Amino acid sequence: MDNFQSTIAELLEVDDVTMTDELTSFECWDSLTILSIIAYTSDEFNVTLSTDEINNSETIGGLKSLIESKM
Amino acid sequence: MNLKFQNKKITGILTVLPENEINFEDEIENYNFSSSQSMKLKLVMGYNKRRVVNAGTTCSDLCVFGMNYLFDNKLLDKETIDALILVTQSPDHFMPPTSNIIQGKLDLKQDMICLDINQGCSGYIVGLNQAFMLLEQEEINKVVLLNADVLSSKVSKKDRNSNPLIGDGASITIIEKDVENNIIYGNIKMDGRGADALMIPAGGFKMPSTNETAELKEDKAGNLRSLDHLVMKGDEVFNFVQKEVPPMIESLLEKANFDKDNVDFYMFHQPNKFMLNKIADKIGIPHSKLPSNIVENFGNASGISIPTVITHNLGKDLTQNSYQICMAGFGVGLTWASLLIKLEKLDFCELINYK
Repeated sequence: MDNFQSTIAELLEVDDVTMTDELTSFECWDSLTILSIIAYTSDEFNVTLSTDEINNSETIGGLKSLIESKM
Repeated sequence: MNLKFQNKKITGILTVLPENEINFEDEIENYNFSSSQSMKLKLVMGYNKRRVVNAGTTCSDLCVFGMNYLFDNKLLDKETIDALILVTQSPDHFMPPTSNIIQGKLDLKQDMICLDINQGCSGYIVGLNQAFMLLEQEEINKVVLLNADVLSSKVSKKDRNSNPLIGDGASITIIEKDVENNIIYGNIKMDGRGADALMIPAGGFKMPSTNETAELKEDKAGNLRSLDHLVMKGDEVFNFVQKEVPPMIESLLEKANFDKDNVDFYMFHQPNKFMLNKIADKIGIPHSKLPSNIVENFGNASGISIPTVITHNLGKDLTQNSYQICMAGFGVGLTWASLLIKLEKLDFCELINYK
C-alpha cells in the first residue's frame, strides 16, 4: 500500500490527499474516476471493488480500509 | 439462430500485424480532454500501444504478404485452396471484390470461389460459418478465411472515443474437412435497427465524400470528427454488448450441453479491457480464461481481434495441445455471434509482422 496515497491523489487530480478527505468533495469525483479506482485496485492489489462499495466508503481512509479488508 | 456443423476443423491461424506502432500517451494532446482524464481512460480501458498501417498499405497487401509467408514456409499448398473468403470493411476498391484481387496477385487456380463479406467485429465468426457451409460441397476440401481491415485512416485523430483503440491488421485461417465428427456449435443474431451505432456515414453511394463531408465538427463530448470518419456511439454499443453477449454464451453452452468451466479459453472480440472483464464477471468465469490484452498491445482491428487473441496468447502451444475454445464477436451491424469449437494441434498458430 506504499503508493496508495500518491496514486489516489493522481486519480483525484490533486497534489495530495489526507485520510479524512471525503471522496465526494473532490471536483473530479465522477464515474470515470470511480472506474479508474476499480481498475487500479484490481491491477495493483488483485482486489475487485464495486461502485457501491467505493461510494459507501465515504473517505480516503475508508477506501483504504475497504481495500485492506479484501486483500 | 442456432447453428451446428460437423466434420470440419480449423488447421492453422496466422495473424499479420503492420509494423507501425503508436503509443496512446503520444496522442493525448490531440484530444480536447485533460491529460489526467486521458490517463484514467488508459488505466480503465487498457489503452497503450496499437499497430497501424503506413499510408497506402491496403488489405490485399497484408493478406498477400501473409499468404506468401505460408507458401514459402510450406505451411500451405497453393493448389489445394478451393475457396478464398475475405471479411473486410475496408476493401481496396468498391469493385472488383478484393478477394479476386488477392487471387490474381497470388496466381491461384481458376477453379475456386472468391467471396468478399462486409462484416466487422463479428466478422471472424461470420467468416467461419461461411467456410463451414462451403465445405459441405463435395469438391471443396480446403477454405482460406482472410480477415483484414485498415480502418485507422478512417478514424479522426481528435476522436478520443475511437482513435485510442483502433488498430489495423490481417489474419489467415485454414478450414478443412475432418474425418472425425467433432460437432461445432454456433449461434448468430443481427439487428439492423442499430445500424448507426457504428458507421462511416459518408464515402459510399448514399453520401459521397465532398468538401462538406470532410469538415471536422465537434460532438457533445468534445470529440472532433467529420462525416468521412468512423463514428461509434460508445454508450449504446456498451449497453448492447452487456445485454446480449452473456445470454448468448449461456444459450450456446446450453445447446451444446457443455459446462462453462470445461471451456479452456473464451477468445472474444477485443473492444477494451473494461468491457471484457465485465462480460467475464457476468458469465461467471475467471478473467484469466477470457484474455483481454489485445487492445493494449495491438489495438482493436475489428474482425482480426479473435485470431489475434488466439495467436498472441496461445501461439505455438496450440500446435502441440488441444483446447476447447468459445469464441464470440459483437459489434457493427449490429451483429453478435459465438462458436464452441475444439482447436486440435494446429499446423501453425503464429503472429508475424508485415514488412
